[in-house]
Amino acid sequence: MKRSRGGLLLTLVLIWLVVYPLALVFVASVRGEAGWTLEHVRAFVTQPQEWNALWGSLWISLASVVLAGVIGVPLAFVFERLEFPGRRLLGALVALPVVMPPLVGVIAFLFLYGESGIVPRVIGVVLGLDRSPWRLHGAGAILLVHAYSMYVYFYLFSRAGLARLDESMVEAAASLGASRWKTLRRVTVPLLRPQIAAAALLTFMTSLGSFSAPYIFGGGFRVMTTQIVNTKLLEHEELAMVQTVSLAVVAFIGLWLLQRTRGTRSVAVMSKGQPPKAQVIRRPLARWTAAGLGWALAAVLLLPHATLILVSLVPLGSWTTQIFPPAYTVGNYVALLSEPERLRPLVNSLWMAAVATAGVILLSLWAGRLVVQRKVRLAKTIELLTNVPWAVPGTVLAIALATMFSVHAPAVGRVILVGTVVILPLAYLVRNVPIAAGSVLAGFRQLDPSLDEAAVSLGAGRVRTLVRITVPLLRPAIFAGAALAFVTALGDFVTSILLYTFDTRPISIEILSLLRQPDIGSAAAYGVVLMLISAGAMAIGIRFFR
Amino acid sequence: MDDLLGQARAGARGAPVTDGAFLELRRLTKRFGDHAAVRDLSLSVPRGSLLALLGPSGSGKTTTLRLLAGFEVPDSGSVVVEGQDMTGLPPAARRFGMVFQHYALFPHLNVFENVAFGLSGRGDVADRVRTMLELVDLPGFGSRTVDQLSGGQQQRVALARALAPEPRLLLLDEPLSNLDPALRDRTRRELRSALRKVGITSVLVTHDQDEAFALGDLVAVLRDGELHQVGTPPDVYERPATEFVATFVGRAGVLRGEVVEDGRVRVAGGPVWTVTSPTPLEPGQAVQVIVRPEVARFTDSGGVAGRVRARTYLGGRAVFEVETEAGVLEVEAAARAADVGDNVQVSAEHAHAFPRQEPK
Repeated sequence: MKRSRGGLLLTLVLIWLVVYPLALVFVASVRGEAGWTLEHVRAFVTQPQEWNALWGSLWISLASVVLAGVIGVPLAFVFERLEFPGRRLLGALVALPVVMPPLVGVIAFLFLYGESGIVPRVIGVVLGLDRSPWRLHGAGAILLVHAYSMYVYFYLFSRAGLARLDESMVEAAASLGASRWKTLRRVTVPLLRPQIAAAALLTFMTSLGSFSAPYIFGGGFRVMTTQIVNTKLLEHEELAMVQTVSLAVVAFIGLWLLQRTRGTRSVAVMSKGQPPKAQVIRRPLARWTAAGLGWALAAVLLLPHATLILVSLVPLGSWTTQIFPPAYTVGNYVALLSEPERLRPLVNSLWMAAVATAGVILLSLWAGRLVVQRKVRLAKTIELLTNVPWAVPGTVLAIALATMFSVHAPAVGRVILVGTVVILPLAYLVRNVPIAAGSVLAGFRQLDPSLDEAAVSLGAGRVRTLVRITVPLLRPAIFAGAALAFVTALGDFVTSILLYTFDTRPISIEILSLLRQPDIGSAAAYGVVLMLISAGAMAIGIRFFR
Repeated sequence: MDDLLGQARAGARGAPVTDGAFLELRRLTKRFGDHAAVRDLSLSVPRGSLLALLGPSGSGKTTTLRLLAGFEVPDSGSVVVEGQDMTGLPPAARRFGMVFQHYALFPHLNVFENVAFGLSGRGDVADRVRTMLELVDLPGFGSRTVDQLSGGQQQRVALARALAPEPRLLLLDEPLSNLDPALRDRTRRELRSALRKVGITSVLVTHDQDEAFALGDLVAVLRDGELHQVGTPPDVYERPATEFVATFVGRAGVLRGEVVEDGRVRVAGGPVWTVTSPTPLEPGQAVQVIVRPEVARFTDSGGVAGRVRARTYLGGRAVFEVETEAGVLEVEAAARAADVGDNVQVSAEHAHAFPRQEPK
């Protein structure tokens, strides 16, 4: 343990950016004009609708975990363990919902399954109905979107776990006389527990913080994230603070409970063993059935992407009652790229996400150097602090930063940034600290410490070691963390809606206002651009991650 | 070849120059929490010779090497090279080369770039790298990537990289432990020949006694952070200073005995054997008698009685494990000299005796 001024400085920076704003929210929820008061809390607890919203958030999140798990885990087994035609391509396609920023996924669902969406139109025509067979709204609609976008966590985590599972453990169970079912139940699944628990945790936290789906589809069904934003936009500041605190408390309790079920972290990591081989399905009928089901699944998963592209080609006001749009144009894209006012949100989103990503990566490298390489005295505190933004829903963080940076009091570390160009990149940065720091710290931990020592023993100074050895070797972790952070910032909706100004409005806000006009073609075109940039960033991240 | 030897060369190896120490460890102590990894360790190494630090895991040998390299800072004591105190110097300023246990070759650089890494600022980088690769018998390997090399080749590149900047001292951390046994033997010979050519003063850490004896001019045996003995390989093997050294270095049987007079010990209440010991022995004193398998032999009468418990073949000969009342002996003899289960008698031409430690 080394004392370090750097360690102290980084701790203070993280406390200032992460803990202090949250603390201010807590204080504001119990403070009125005449000092401390429980008045706002009373206003909150006596309102049934507040309880309903909180309960809605909670059960939607738990149901999302179950649904996503039920879809994602079996899919992981199918694609990791069975060999059938098209397995590799399908296995990659199945992960595609991940390149849909939340708001874009929601509007794609709207165009596809919403009341005037393509699927209800087709069914209406086939069955001769004069109106949509269903309405896409309420809890069911939210759960549908959550299941679609979050099963990927279970799928990817379980697949990674399965791929690293040591085949000799399965063989050992078989040699001890265990049946395949028993081996699965007693060996394989328990070994996957850390991965499944991690996916459950991620799904729970993402659902709890989910804003886009309830905002667009919620209707009369309220969850706490939308409740907070509504209250805030109605300028009931104090009530918004109490709501924010209530959601944060639920998040912390959920996090704590789920963390306890997580178990040991790396039991499934193999040391020298071979990962299990995929089993080739030999019977032709079974082979083609599996392949057919796989392609059907892929088609369902890709429908939202395809719909988004289709709708992006619709000229304004041309699509009324037909099943498919009657006319197509690339005009929406041309307008987006050629009219300065249309290009503005894209440029805004790109530069703000890029700045936030660069900032958060530098912060993570600093943290990695202090926590992993120098093992400073405050290492544990620093790592804990980098995880805090993850434990609070995006709405909570946005409210906290909005509160913190709307007062001019430099003496206590507060300045007015709300309404300036600084606030959104800063908010994106803070929100992405856990993602980037998690990736970079894991990268640092995988570095053989003797590489660093070897450089030093060959006479290299700190800067040369960092530039020539550490950063090049961390490149995979840096790219992975940066890609995730960039994509999250680029597609952000919930932080933006609370903190944007007209001049700094990002794509998501523009999409929302276009939907209201309604100029669905342009909204979809923005969605496609966002999706393509996200996919490109992820592809770069994954390429260097290998 | 002379141009690559640098200033570190002095005299032929095998006959270390003994005029004053080149490297001195003075009363080094290093604690991790409550645990003293190295305790009051003093050693000196003459210019041009190789010191092997030998001990089981946890003996403090790696910590000692890291203290030397400057990766750890001692709680007390100092590291002195040519009379100059290095203790406060950062690793980069010490000009010590190091070969790491897992080689620590930079995976994103090729062989040339690895070897050249320590040569920044020199004008003759390409020449120097070529010379070093020739020294380790890998000419023309410069453009290979690290993962294209076998384990033995990686080890040699690591050596070339460490030697390239002409360090004053070379540190080797278990340099052969990552190789499979067949390769280890050959790589050991190559390492020995390369070090000989350069004539650099070196410190090697190993838990393998064969390695320490094959490479070391001096062997220091450590246990629990303390130095038990330092000497030439024959010294350590033939005149072990402690019971631990006697049993850790080479195979040995241990019997309980009682001193008859200095140099003579009655073993297991029976025969009297001639022994050597590091300290004078008092008559009547309880001792541990250490017998090497190669000096123990079966005899028809007048030996220690026991029963053959196991036999391990070594080609035409075998090592027999003989259980006696006073402990277990090992005897090396012709493979057919006895069978498992036979009652035998064993005598020894020569043994070592150490005062028996009361069980703590």
